[in-house]
Formats: sequence, structure tokens, C-alpha cells
Amino acid sequence: MTTAAFSIEMKLAEIGPATKGTNPREVVVAIAPAFGKEMNKTIVKVDHALVLREILSGIEEQGAVPRVIRSLRTADLAFMAHGAAKMSGSGIGIGLQSRGTTVIHQRDLDPLSNLELFPQSPLITLETYRAIGRNAAMYALGESPSPVPVVNDQMARPKYQAAAALLYLKECQSRVAEAKPVELKAEFIIKD
Amino acid sequence: MATKILAGVDIGNSSTEVAIAKVVDEKANFLSEHLVKTTGIKGTVDNVKGIGMALREAAKKADIQILDIDIIRLNDAVPVIGDLAMDLISETIITESSMIGHNPDTPGGAGLGVGITVLVDQMFDAAVRGLDYIVVIPKPFDYEWAAHWINKAEKDGISITGAIVQKDDGVLIHNRLHKPIPIVDEVSLIEKVPLGKMAAIEVALPGHVIRTLSNPYGLSTVFQLNPEQTKQIALVAKALVGNRSAVVIRTPQGEVVERKIEAGRIKLAGTNNKQLEVSINDGAGEIMRTYDNLGDLLDVKGETGTNVGGMFNGLRHDLAELTGQSPNEIKISDFLAVDAIIPTSISGSMAGELSMESGVALASMVKTNKVPVQKVAALLEQELGVRVEIGGIEAEMAILGSLTTPGTRKPIVILDMGGGSTDAAMMNETGKITSSHLAGAGDMVTMLINSELALGDKELAERIKKNPLGKVMSLFHMQLEDGTILFSETPFPPHTFGKVVIREESGLTPLTIKASMDKIRDIRRSAKRRVFVTNVLRALKRVVPTGNLKHLSFVVMVGGSALDFEIPQMLTEELGKYGIVAGFANIRGTEGPRNAVATGLVLSSVKEEVLK
Repeated sequence: MTTAAFSIEMKLAEIGPATKGTNPREVVVAIAPAFGKEMNKTIVKVDHALVLREILSGIEEQGAVPRVIRSLRTADLAFMAHGAAKMSGSGIGIGLQSRGTTVIHQRDLDPLSNLELFPQSPLITLETYRAIGRNAAMYALGESPSPVPVVNDQMARPKYQAAAALLYLKECQSRVAEAKPVELKAEFIIKD
Repeated sequence: MATKILAGVDIGNSSTEVAIAKVVDEKANFLSEHLVKTTGIKGTVDNVKGIGMALREAAKKADIQILDIDIIRLNDAVPVIGDLAMDLISETIITESSMIGHNPDTPGGAGLGVGITVLVDQMFDAAVRGLDYIVVIPKPFDYEWAAHWINKAEKDGISITGAIVQKDDGVLIHNRLHKPIPIVDEVSLIEKVPLGKMAAIEVALPGHVIRTLSNPYGLSTVFQLNPEQTKQIALVAKALVGNRSAVVIRTPQGEVVERKIEAGRIKLAGTNNKQLEVSINDGAGEIMRTYDNLGDLLDVKGETGTNVGGMFNGLRHDLAELTGQSPNEIKISDFLAVDAIIPTSISGSMAGELSMESGVALASMVKTNKVPVQKVAALLEQELGVRVEIGGIEAEMAILGSLTTPGTRKPIVILDMGGGSTDAAMMNETGKITSSHLAGAGDMVTMLINSELALGDKELAERIKKNPLGKVMSLFHMQLEDGTILFSETPFPPHTFGKVVIREESGLTPLTIKASMDKIRDIRRSAKRRVFVTNVLRALKRVVPTGNLKHLSFVVMVGGSALDFEIPQMLTEELGKYGIVAGFANIRGTEGPRNAVATGLVLSSVKEEVLK
């Protein structure tokens, strides 16, 4: 059995200001200001293209419709995700920071609350991102998913805290004050 | 006449109840009551800890000291101890992996495809034009790449009719194909799929179930089988009924067998040297019928070396240790068998398929000559420094307590439904009491719920048993069991969003199992019906002098299970068929169905003194 070697390239095209969706099957993914742009890898050097693709695949596999927006005025995970949830036709949104931290949000919740939070970015694998997309889609479709299992490592904090802070600072430099989120068209090109 | 303070203590299988009363001039004035979980097995010295706790709490409520109590009256804990066991009686084994019949959440496409299995990257080398193929896609292959590859093959003239995928990629691949095919995904043990063999794959539309592969004649059409072979493969079809997707691969030696586990036979010994034998495999209905034919039961023995033998022997052994008797002296006085459905994983399966196997659950009860209630009393007296008496028979006490319900009088029939046993007692106009104690009550219901939902968590099963369910639809509304919608002013907690929840007074507990609310409710209600309806009818028949339930007119329900939110209604409905009016007690007009025995213990001593 030979595995074909291939790489995946991501193209994020801005197609205008993000609007409120009406499709009850949709899940909106809000990516942070620098995601796939000024920054292209997570805190553990996983390509952003793979991360976003897994989340979108997870949503599609369940039969929900993914939509991607970029948050510009804030890089704060909770507010990004809550904003996405409010724009989502189903009321379910996902927030994704460049370092990899992720949250699943619902529009009726308080911004600092959440449905599922994945705070330890160095420990999130691609399978977990797929599962996050899957669970968000299941919430959107009115099903009851079991929460995605989360790994916990006490050493992640001392080991990565400084890097995480720096990455967040870097992310914040891409913010545009007072700018509304923009709608993105995410394309993935597979190369043999 | 001097004032005395009396305490009644009722040790039950699952809870210990106390009542404290001040007796002035033969009049009992109840001060307080309390309930704790029974510590240890009913009737053993381990109970003392729980009794002490309950008494202290009750004393605190009554604003007295424990030493102010003059006499503690203990129930003569009917020397019956119950035990529960459950065993499989059937099992499905696939000897040669020849089927995958599972329900991935999201298979791709729809329809039926028949072809030869081939690995996705070997398609171009192996495929012969003119034949149909089913591609097998293991984990390392990305969905995008696999879809691209299948499209390319299609263009090349290779006919592909279906796909088997290891990852959860069915819909993703399907969405990228030029020509739609049925795809079964999440096949975890894909390496077991034989290559180069004829296979059939079927996926039904959402909300539907497969029709061809779950039909033996559908299979025989697909694989062109003769009647002999069709008979062999019928079990495969049976195992696939109700699935949304399935794969069947024909391997020459492949077969699925349903094996009946020798769960063993039980021997029932009755009066007059009557002996009857019944096999556990015959199911609960047959076992209970045999028991009925026998009449009075003296003892039950399980066949040695079998599941049921082990269960009965374990019970004997435990009780022998407890009472210091030899195991041979211990006799099983009653048992209840109930059919159960136990989800079990199929051995030899490829995708972790479950099959619903049948089983039998048994509750049994043992009467011993000496149960150390005396020891309990002695230890309690020593620990608390208060005189302890052993009061009358439990059933008698329960009737005395029940008679404090407003609107009751002799003759009276009571049903005491607790955790371990279901008891019935009848008192006629002259005060004569007949009673029966049967194995199987609340704890058995918990066991059935626990195993039929595959929870592996008794606490959780107990909570499912005791509370109604709801499904949180949004943060502000929830669907209840009966279909009505409940709106909430304050949002539900986020972790309950979209989940089936147990609605307790203290809050909502989300369930992580996949079963729908209706399914859980059905299992809960059927478990209660199987145990309580069967047992209540059995218990009542034994106390009616004529043996005919139609000769009863009033039944008062007491005990913890009478507090349940649906059991009393179920029984009222069932007993209504016999023209019996049933309702749950309200002990002393305030306690509901609780505290009957403890109350009776206090009152009985008053009565005794009156008689003197």
C-alpha cells in the first residue's frame, strides 16, 4: 500500500463584508486577523491550511454547510466565535486563532461562555480539529454530540505560555480597528 | 402515665428510616423523622452506622438528645436478602469476517452496489474492464485524493459501484465524485476486508433503513445463491436488519453463527418433594410459568459449572459468611426472572458492530434461620446507650403505619415496594395478617436500565430511573417526554445544549449516550413494568385468601418505589383491570408513602401497652 505524497495549498479570497446567514444548516468559522496570512502555522507548527481544512471537512461530512469569515477588529477567541455564531443561520459558530486555540459557540450564550472550548492549543491534533467541525455541525443540525475528548497536560502551560503570548501579540498586530468581519472563500488545492 | 420518647427504626434494603415520637398517656405524638441510605447489607451489624446517623439527624430535628430517647424499636428485619444477576443467553459470532453491518452516522450516497473488492491505489493495475468494483480506502488516503482517483478511474472506463472507507469520510468523498456511488465509512478494522472477493454494499437515505441486504432473498439475488447457501447466509441478513448502511462480502468459508450460550438449568424444589427443572435459555416467561406450576418454593439450585449455577452459589456463599451458617443450610425462598436485552459487541466483526443479545435477569431472595438482627440491636444499644427492642414483623408494622393514612381502615391490603423486595400484606377485620415477600424491586429496575442502555454506571441508571427526561432544543426551550415544550426565562447551562437531559430538582444532567429520548424512556418504562407489574400481581395473589385478585377492592402502596413518578400510575392502571382501587399511602397524613414501618414500630408499642 503506497500513500500518495501530496501537499495542500489554501487560498483565502476576500469576497466582501460578512453578512448574517439564513441557512439553518450553516456553521460559521471565524478565523483570527492573521490566520493564513501574516501567520501560517499554529503554535506546534501545523500548517493553517490543514487545520482549517479539517474543521471544514468535519462540518461537511455531517451534512452541514461551512462558511468562513475573518474577524478583523478583535483577535479575542470568545468574541470572534460569538460574533460568528451571531452571523450563523444555525446560531453555531467556531472561533479559530492562529496559534490553534479553538472554541464552539452559540449565539444565545454570553460571549465568555461556550459550548466546547479547546484551550490548550499545543495539544490539539488534526483529528481533534475534524471532530470539532463535526460536533459544531451536529449542534447546528439539532443532534446531541458527545463532547470532543480533550487532552490535558500540565506541562503545556510552562512550556508554551510565553510562545502563546507572543503569538497572540503578533496576531493583534494584524487587527484593523473598527473593521467589520469579511467573508472569505476558502479553496484547497491538492498537489501530487 | 409517664411521658416516654420512642424511636422506630426501619432498616430497608436501600434506605434506613427512623421516626421519633413522644408518647403521653398512650397517645403518640410524632416529633420528627429522617431517612438515610442503608449502610451495608440489610440486617447486618454494618447497619448500625447508618442507624446512628439517622437517629442523630432526627433527634436534632426534634430538638432532643439521643439519650433522651427511652426505647429504640428496631424492625425484625425480615431475614430476606436479595441479590441480582444477569447473563447472556445468546451470542452472535462471525467466524469468517464476511459482513460489516454498522450504522456510521454519515455514510455517503445511497443505493446498492455490487462488485469485486479492490484497494484504491491498485485499481488501475488490477481492474479488468467490463467487471464492477468496490474500492476499499484505508486511513492513509485523503478523501480529496481518493475522490480524484475514483473520478480518474471512472473516466478510464473502470466501473466502480461502491466504496468502503476507514475514516469518517463518506460524505466528503461522495460530494466530490462525478458519478454518485454508495459509500460506507468508519469501518475501523478495514484491513480485515478480504480483497478480490464479491461484495455488496447498500446505503439507505437518511431516516430509512436498508432493504436488500437485510433480506435473505435479497442477498441470494445479489450473490446468486442456491437454497442451501441462502439458509446459511440468513443470519447475516438478520444481523443487518434496521441498519442504514451495510456491506456484505462473500468469502467461500464465511459464515455467521448464532451460538446459544449454555446459561444452565435451574432446579426448583417445592413442597411434597415436588421438583421441576427449567433451562435459563427458555427465557423469563417459561421460568416464571414453571415456578407457578410448582407452587410453594423451598429452594432453587443452579446447575454447577454454568452461569446460573455460579450466581446461586455465590449468593449462598455470601449469606453463609454473613450469618455464620453453612452454605447448605441456606435456602432460596423466592426469585424473579425478567427478560433483558443486552447490547453486546459481535466477536469477529469489522467495525465494532453491536448486536442486541437476549439475556435473563434474576433477582433472588434468601431466608436464613438466624439473621444477626440481635447483634445489630446489641451493638446499637452499646453504642448509643439507649435500650433497643426488636419490634414486630415488618409487614405488620407496615400495615399499622399505613393505617395512619387518612381514609383507610381495616380490612386493608398494602403493597410495600422498596429497593430489594416487593411485599404485600393483608389485614382482615379481626386484625389477622397474611403477608408475602418477593424478590425484585427498585434495584432490579436500575440494573435493567444500566445494562440495556449500556451505561456501565449504576448511579446514573438510578437517576434515569427516578427522573423524567427532556431534550434541550435551544438555550431557552426544551422538549419534554410527552412532547410538550418548556420555555425557560433563564438560559439552560451551555453543557446541556442539544442534549437529552435528566430533569432533577437540583438541575439538569446531560446524558452522553447516543440513544434518543424516546428510546431511553421506553427502556425505563418497560424495565419498571417488567419488574413491578409482574411482582405486584404475584405478591397480591399470595395474600388474597381466595387467590383471585378480583376479590380485592383497595390497595395502599408504600415504600420508596411508591414515590416514583410513574410506577404508582402504572400499577393503578394495571390493577384497575381487576377492579382494584390503588393509591399510594400518606403516612400520618404528612409523610407520603415513606416511613410506614418506622411509624408502625412506634405505634405497635403503644398498642401493646394499651393491651396490658
